[in-house]
Amino acid sequence: MTVSVVGQPMPQVSAQEKVQGRAVYAGDIKMAGMLHAKLLRSPHAHARILSIDTSAAEALPGVKVVVTGDDVPRRRWGVHHKQQNVLACGLVRFVGEEVAAVVATTEAVAQDALELIRIEYEELPAVLDIDAALSEGAVPVHPEGNVVDEINIARGDVEAGFAAADIVHEEVYTTHSQYPGYMEPMATVAATDGNGRLTVWTSTQSVFLARQRLAEALDRPISSIRVIQATVGGGFGAKIVEERSSVIAAFLATKVDRPVRLNLSRLDDIQSGCFSVPMRIRLKMGMTRDGTITAKDVTIEAECGAYAGLSPEVMLVTAMRSDNMQRLENVRSHARMIHTHTMPRGAFRGFGGTQMSFALNSHMSTMADMLGMDPFDLHRRNAIRTGDLSVHGWEIGSCGLPECLDQVSTALDWTARRARNTRCGVLRRGVGMAAVMHVSGNRTMGNWDGSTVVLKVNEDGRVVILTAESDMGQGANTMLTQICAQELGIPVSHVTVQAPDTDNSPYCLGSLASRVTINAGNAMLGAARQARSQILEAAAQKLGCEAADLTIADGVVHSGKNPNLFAPLPEICRYHIFRHGGEGILVRHTHDPKTVMMNKEHYGNIAPAYSFAAQALEVEVDTETGQVRVVETYLSDDCGKAINPLTVHGQSAGAAVQAVGWTLYEELQMEGGRVMNGNLADYTMPTAEAVPTMHSDIVETDEPNGPLGAKGASETAILPGAPAIANAVYDAIGVRITDLPITPEKILAALAAKEQPHA
Amino acid sequence: MSGHKLSLVVNGERVEADVPSNRLLSEFLRDDLALTGTKRGCETGVCGACSVLVDGDVVKSCLSLAVQMNGREITTVEGLGRVGALHPLQQQFMEKGGLQCGYCTPGFLMAAVDLLKRNPNPDDAEIREGLSGNLCRCTGYQGIVDAIRSTAEAGHGA
Amino acid sequence: MHSFEFMEPTTLAEALRLLATHEDDACVFAGGTALLLAMRQRMMVPEIVVSLGRLHDLRTIGWTPAGGLRIGALARHGDVARSELVQQHYPMLAGVAAGLANPQVRNQATIGGNLCYADPATDPPSCLIAMGAEVTIAGPDGERRIPMRTFSVDFFTTALEPGEILTGILLPPPDPQRLGHYRRHLRTAAEHRPVANVALTARRVGSAWDEVRLVVGAATPSPQSMTRAEAYLAGRAITLDVAAEAASLVAEELAPISDGRGDAAFRRQVVRAATRRIVAEAAGLDWKETAA
Ligand SMILES: Cc1cc2nc3c(=O)[nH]c(=O)nc-3n(C[C@H](O)[C@H](O)[C@H](O)COP(=O)(O)OP(=O)(O)OC[C@H]3O[C@@H](n4cnc5c(N)ncnc54)[C@H](O)[C@@H]3O)c2cc1C
Ligand code: FES
Ligand code: FES
Repeated sequence: MTVSVVGQPMPQVSAQEKVQGRAVYAGDIKMAGMLHAKLLRSPHAHARILSIDTSAAEALPGVKVVVTGDDVPRRRWGVHHKQQNVLACGLVRFVGEEVAAVVATTEAVAQDALELIRIEYEELPAVLDIDAALSEGAVPVHPEGNVVDEINIARGDVEAGFAAADIVHEEVYTTHSQYPGYMEPMATVAATDGNGRLTVWTSTQSVFLARQRLAEALDRPISSIRVIQATVGGGFGAKIVEERSSVIAAFLATKVDRPVRLNLSRLDDIQSGCFSVPMRIRLKMGMTRDGTITAKDVTIEAECGAYAGLSPEVMLVTAMRSDNMQRLENVRSHARMIHTHTMPRGAFRGFGGTQMSFALNSHMSTMADMLGMDPFDLHRRNAIRTGDLSVHGWEIGSCGLPECLDQVSTALDWTARRARNTRCGVLRRGVGMAAVMHVSGNRTMGNWDGSTVVLKVNEDGRVVILTAESDMGQGANTMLTQICAQELGIPVSHVTVQAPDTDNSPYCLGSLASRVTINAGNAMLGAARQARSQILEAAAQKLGCEAADLTIADGVVHSGKNPNLFAPLPEICRYHIFRHGGEGILVRHTHDPKTVMMNKEHYGNIAPAYSFAAQALEVEVDTETGQVRVVETYLSDDCGKAINPLTVHGQSAGAAVQAVGWTLYEELQMEGGRVMNGNLADYTMPTAEAVPTMHSDIVETDEPNGPLGAKGASETAILPGAPAIANAVYDAIGVRITDLPITPEKILAALAAKEQPHA
Repeated sequence: MSGHKLSLVVNGERVEADVPSNRLLSEFLRDDLALTGTKRGCETGVCGACSVLVDGDVVKSCLSLAVQMNGREITTVEGLGRVGALHPLQQQFMEKGGLQCGYCTPGFLMAAVDLLKRNPNPDDAEIREGLSGNLCRCTGYQGIVDAIRSTAEAGHGA
Repeated sequence: MHSFEFMEPTTLAEALRLLATHEDDACVFAGGTALLLAMRQRMMVPEIVVSLGRLHDLRTIGWTPAGGLRIGALARHGDVARSELVQQHYPMLAGVAAGLANPQVRNQATIGGNLCYADPATDPPSCLIAMGAEVTIAGPDGERRIPMRTFSVDFFTTALEPGEILTGILLPPPDPQRLGHYRRHLRTAAEHRPVANVALTARRVGSAWDEVRLVVGAATPSPQSMTRAEAYLAGRAITLDVAAEAASLVAEELAPISDGRGDAAFRRQVVRAATRRIVAEAAGLDWKETAA
């Protein structure tokens, strides 16, 4: 019998090459004749470019070309809003916007040349925050005005809901922008060939979306471009479609007709944006005395910076996703996405969910206190359940939220710890919790959320998987490998997953919306089963028996009826080829989930499954220094069947730490639109010392739409951290922080204000 | 300006090279010796992705000049272990989920070698302190700490 | 990074000669951890870089019962932390060296470079001042010896004259009656550099203290001795109230800096907390019960 592979913790398939330092990231690629590029960025938040003099830079020995906005295609690119050119054309809209690029024989020469470029700017008034952008007579960032997107959603009767409430609570929450902080700054190598085709090796979460964007920005046919995914050193959303440096690198390669490498420095990477979307959220909720939510009213102002990118999609998630986590009837959301002259923001792990989770879970705990209820009970009372149809038409095929809540409250010993808090002493402890949901998949990029897997079975019985879903460290390739190995009855070491390549891989959307496990996993399952039945058919012919009697285990096809009837897999695979009309085994399977796009009212079941999570933690607050530390934490993720528990735990721990960073340690400092802490010494992400043991647990619901019961993990786990910490801080010191991050200064100020109440 | 003759040992092999004085050790390893396992993540001494061993001590190669390395012995991740003869730490990083994207991994491995050399039996707090010069954005450090602890427990600390 | 000449003299005399010859164009290079960052940001653009790497004598740490401790300027933080001599006779300093920065930097950066760069966000200076350290400086006219207290002058400014090299740090012989404590405070646990630190040494006389030295670092342009609190603490039986009062005096006397890591008010507050704690701790009291 083949031991089951799915559900077993196993090292990632890329782990071996990575621990040897042999995985090749884009910045490691070196090609014959390769040149190096560097970018010049705008020092102004808003300015007209009057003139650019590149002559001195061009004259520097080693410089091959200097390009500016005058040289790039006029066609503009963008996700929905076509707002950008390859380099700024005539106008700059944020500090850090790329205005010129140098290609030279070495990075050092390119860097020196940057300093020789003379640009004359006419500085223009800039709007640097939401309030400025919305004020009377504000300078428009784009001609269309500063409100780039507006969403209105209403269901049920919100006013009646509030009228029926015993308590109503309203509060404004603000959330700040987080840097994705992947350890690999963006890097790209691009090269044209003798036929004029362009090949781009880059760090991306989606090769096909990258290709589409390149075609648009470079204004050339899609098929004249080939994008190959290099090993990705982390993405967290920023490398889906919004980063700009791969576009610039590709353009430069077409200019010099030689390979060009563009490695961003860390400062470059930070300045170019792709931080998460900061928001101001006004939340009003009504509840009856027993804790039932009767109405929810949300107003959101979100800042996308200079270019919209995916921000409108992010905001839509903030505006409505959390409504589906609870049994609600009366909900209303009004959200506006606002341009400012600051770096573009956009997709980030959790995709708008973190912002609303902070508001909602802070609110739930506050209202639980108002009702004299335990917040866990309040969540349980309102939690959506398996089989429910949510207020926005989401069909909840599996929901492990109640189990997640139970797990984390037991693990932290919630009730006992909560009772222990005395709110005295210098170092005070408090406990907090939060509950969240996320999608697994999302039919949003057009009416397809499918995934195709091509499976080749070689003549030695080993297999190659072709897919363009991207593994950026989260374990997609390992998941596919496990499903494939299990279905085919072969060892995992006999499975190879090819890197995504737009010329050779089937069309896929890539790693976003936690869609890969559920959609590509299903495609993999289909492809593997198809290959399996082809193998068994061939074996049946060869062995002279019924295919139905045959199985594959440990790389051998054998009959369940007659122990003498068996054949090693390679024998069958060769037989599949070497016969009249034979061929190598090559199967393809596409899985497109039975979901719908939202209608105009934002209604409809957009995802094949929904994931849930809960977190409970304890903090210690130093009342003299304002320092907050998470001292113990438990997170439970309902990811359906955990195909690789090791990976799920890794995702949970990583996401939870990223959330701690967002809440307590990381803060983008801007002055006049300029980033003041554009380095990792001053933009401080959590170190190993700054976080405790990250305990995680898994609730394995059986998702009917998932491959072998699985759904997405990883994004869900980033959602509960911030409010759980804020709630714990409140529990510890009786101070509610509603604007992130929770800095020592805010703690001290709040404590001081509390000690000196107005007379 | 001046080129410098360097003679050093890298991963057990003698290397003679001519380098300009302003070449960083990280650049020398990656660009001149094609040892791209050593990464750059910040080039300001914070992230630790560029960590290598110099005479057995872990250092950040983005904070060193190549010319400082004359006569020294350098070990990069490529010198730690190979398929079939992986270093116990490499094995444990794989098995305990000590990596995801892998970009930080070479640096963490080198820091872990130094840590276990000085303290073959560290507790979790000591492990975390020993990793304070390295950043990882993927793992939340849990898999890394677990990997180092289990390496030590298996007696491979020294 | 710009290009420069890298020189590796093998004797101190040769190093001094190079500095004298090239004057402003030259710069001393020890571990390089601070210098390389400054050079890459073009805050410093020396044409001649004079490495002290081959001056092996400057790396040693020596101790005599009568003379006390001598730490060569080129000793790395890790060397200081791991030195048995330092651990045995000056555990306070060993602790500071072991707890600053991170393992890699401790293996690269020298204590001399730390003092000479005079970056406020560091640990050793306040500690060394509180321990009564002196430093030895070699120059064209021979060696001089000055108290550490007068060596750190201001932001990135020391008492070094052009062409001089810091050669070593001297600590007086350990006094069994002298207690020593050090606290560094990070703004958050994810920070890499101290936002403030406090070093305290004092002679125990019965149940009271004498010769109190209380020095604040990282919160000020250069370490600041808290003279009012020192005078207040001397001769007094230490209670939690006394600790709190000392902390208040320090908070009043302190002239903190403001930067991205914290403004003056914040620094004053954390120094107050750190002072109260270090005084309480040194007296064996539990500061966790009541706040200042
Ligand atoms: C990531 C990071 C974290 C850090 N964290 C801390 C911390 O927590 N606490 C802390 O205290 N420090 C910290 N540091 C600072 C570190 O201690 C200093 O960078 C280091 O000590 C400088 O020593 P160096 O030998 O590298 O000096 P170099 O870079 O070689 O020199 C620094 C300066 O001093 C001059 N100089 C050096 N030696 C001499 C000499 N003997 N005579 C005359 N002039 C000389 C040089 O010309 C130069 O101007 C940190 C540094 C980094 C990169
Ligand atoms: S690249 Fe050297 S520490 Fe980040
Ligand atoms: S594994 Fe990706 S940064 Fe550590």
